[in-house]
Amino acid sequence: MTEPVVQTRNLYYRYRGGPPEWVLEDLNLEIEAGEYLLICGPSGSGKSTLCQALNGLIPQFYGGHLEGEVRVDGLDTVEHPVSELFAHVGIVFQNAEAQLFNSTVEGELAFGLESLGWPQGEINERVTEIADAVQITHLLRRNPHQLSGGEQKLVLIAAALAPRPPVLVLDEPYASLDPANVDRVRRALNEIHNRGTTVVVVEHRLENAVIDAERMVVLHQGRIVLEGLPEDVLARDITRFGLRPPAAVRVGKALNLGNTILSVESLIAATGSQSLPPDLFPAQQAKNQPKGKPLLEIRDVAFSFQEKPILRGVNFALHEGECLALVGANGSGKTTLIKHFNGLYKPDHGHVLVLGQDTRRAGTSALAHHVGLVFQNANDQFFKSTVKEEIEVGARTLGCYDEDWLRHLIALFHLQPLLDRSPHLLSGGEKKRVSFAAALAARPKILVFDEPTVGQDWPFRQALGDLLGQLQDQGRAVVLVTHDLDFAEQCADRWVLLAGGKIRADGSPDDVMNDTKAMRQANLKPTQSFRIRQALGKGAEIHVAP
Amino acid sequence: MLPPKESKGPLDPRTCLLLTILYAGLIASSNQNAWLLLELGLIVVSTVAAGEMKQYAQWLRPVAVMTASWFIISLLAFDLRTALTASLRLVALTSAFFLFFRTTTPQDLGNALVKSGLPYEIAFVLSTSMQFVPLISRKIRNILDAQRARGIPLKPGFAALRHYPALAAPLLIQAFQLGEELAVAMESRGFGRQGRTFRRNYRMRVVDWISLGVAVVLVGTLIIVQPT
Repeated sequence: MTEPVVQTRNLYYRYRGGPPEWVLEDLNLEIEAGEYLLICGPSGSGKSTLCQALNGLIPQFYGGHLEGEVRVDGLDTVEHPVSELFAHVGIVFQNAEAQLFNSTVEGELAFGLESLGWPQGEINERVTEIADAVQITHLLRRNPHQLSGGEQKLVLIAAALAPRPPVLVLDEPYASLDPANVDRVRRALNEIHNRGTTVVVVEHRLENAVIDAERMVVLHQGRIVLEGLPEDVLARDITRFGLRPPAAVRVGKALNLGNTILSVESLIAATGSQSLPPDLFPAQQAKNQPKGKPLLEIRDVAFSFQEKPILRGVNFALHEGECLALVGANGSGKTTLIKHFNGLYKPDHGHVLVLGQDTRRAGTSALAHHVGLVFQNANDQFFKSTVKEEIEVGARTLGCYDEDWLRHLIALFHLQPLLDRSPHLLSGGEKKRVSFAAALAARPKILVFDEPTVGQDWPFRQALGDLLGQLQDQGRAVVLVTHDLDFAEQCADRWVLLAGGKIRADGSPDDVMNDTKAMRQANLKPTQSFRIRQALGKGAEIHVAP
Repeated sequence: MLPPKESKGPLDPRTCLLLTILYAGLIASSNQNAWLLLELGLIVVSTVAAGEMKQYAQWLRPVAVMTASWFIISLLAFDLRTALTASLRLVALTSAFFLFFRTTTPQDLGNALVKSGLPYEIAFVLSTSMQFVPLISRKIRNILDAQRARGIPLKPGFAALRHYPALAAPLLIQAFQLGEELAVAMESRGFGRQGRTFRRNYRMRVVDWISLGVAVVLVGTLIIVQPT
């Protein structure tokens, strides 16, 4: 039998200056050449740390204490420098922007080969070849920083593969990508795998990843807790490890179909005319709630940026107690639109009314009393030395500091143990919770979340869903800006679909997903659960929980 | 504004840099408005020839604001003629460098300088930091929006000075984070490894030396013959 291309033996690791617990603990993993492996686990399970251990960044770059052994393509990752290992294992990390440091895509692909001292002719040949394989030839002359998120990922994949490493590792490749871009990256990875490269994908959102992978490993608290074929692993209970099985798997299990089913297509083929059990899709409750008075009105809004039209003829109203999801692909104008809600942007044409007040006649500070906006990157706002100060500073500046309300927020977001810590040193999920509390500190009637679920695991998403419900019960209106349709379907009773700066559909999630033309214009795909409900609804009665 | 595309044109990036410096010397030594207009005109013609007119027009807008304030200051301090000359010179100088940076990527310039003996690491830091300017300015915009959205006034002005840490702290911390991620990414693609090669040739050819020679003679003559 041939030696595995990646092998970790009794691997233990903890960070320099970090807590004394191991981040990776007794990790034994073997990856065969040519395999497509999915490594999954919730936030903090050690997934990213494992990636960095595979190309020697751990311990060579990060320091810390490592015990045991990691071998990649026969090389010990402690004995061989990263600048040698990268030709044996290509890695694509999460943040694409920080990894693109050349002025052209061509330069990006050539960089590793130049490092290795390849002759000029061979470099240019290989750049052409790899660009063709990943289908980015048309981008070669472009600046990588001006590409879409999906294109950037493809450039990074090509750059990592240029020196022909036998193994490619990707850390959460689908986070922050919209469905169309996820499909592009998936196609490229399948193609690379078919050509013989070992592909290792690290993800916690399983819907797409389990279909492509040949084997699956579940990490929990730094240990491998489950391992095997995706069908076999998903047949077990993975929710106890903070992972949510895809909708097709859940429905298949609920219907007692025997073998674990991974995709919607196979589920539909296997079910025949069985009806769906009640409670399977509880998100379908709470439709058609009576609407309160309008808090926010967008009237025929148009807006251009650098002479490029971003929004055109946008009209809708948001009511008290409503949870509205503004859905659309990357670049559809969603973030530009929400920046109109508190006067950060003023419309070129039309009006935005917040509690009846025209945003043209009010400053952002005044509007911040009524509209809380939580942006995607919590790091953009942290500047105080403790979490407590960070939550209070907005309310104090606005002159509406209320001690009782802040105590309530601290309890609501479970922030008591974090109050004296620096916001910068928190985990991704904790930072999000602090930014939510900060946005609510001034008691705004309208709360807007920009892509709150990007990079967040299932336990976080579940908790956020509950929280949105509580905010609605308090009579607040919530706007959820997202291309994460699963989450939008779970939490929002109304969707507004934006594409090319225009509203293409407005209605219940089902109405919007039924509008195939609008969904196509927006480059979005209906959720798995919607497709299952649609398919099994034909000829079968769907029981929906009241 | 869009960053430049791949370097174009037949000249080595070093030649382009030297030509730009020579031309800047000529502009700096010109005192006649007519001469300055002529020198500016030549840059505009070259910009059109390089297909960069649209970008140039866009770039001119903020420069116009800067020039106007420069004009007012010089007018108050000196006289109309000096103010006009100073403003024209400012526009011509910045335009010359605009054209240079639009037609030569920092990376090409850096690589070419490495060929001339500049250590690779230094050239790389210079060229890469240019690459991240748009990213950092986008980060600044995001931070300003995030803070203003929760009522912290950061609109330019004296009132914002008190809240300056609200911009500076997140920016600095994210710049450090970006720096670390960038270091990891570069390390993971063999930065600093001995024996680096380049996918392009950076060679001073005959055409480069001739261009430089002609430019030196021309600029020298012009500096001597132009009226002061």
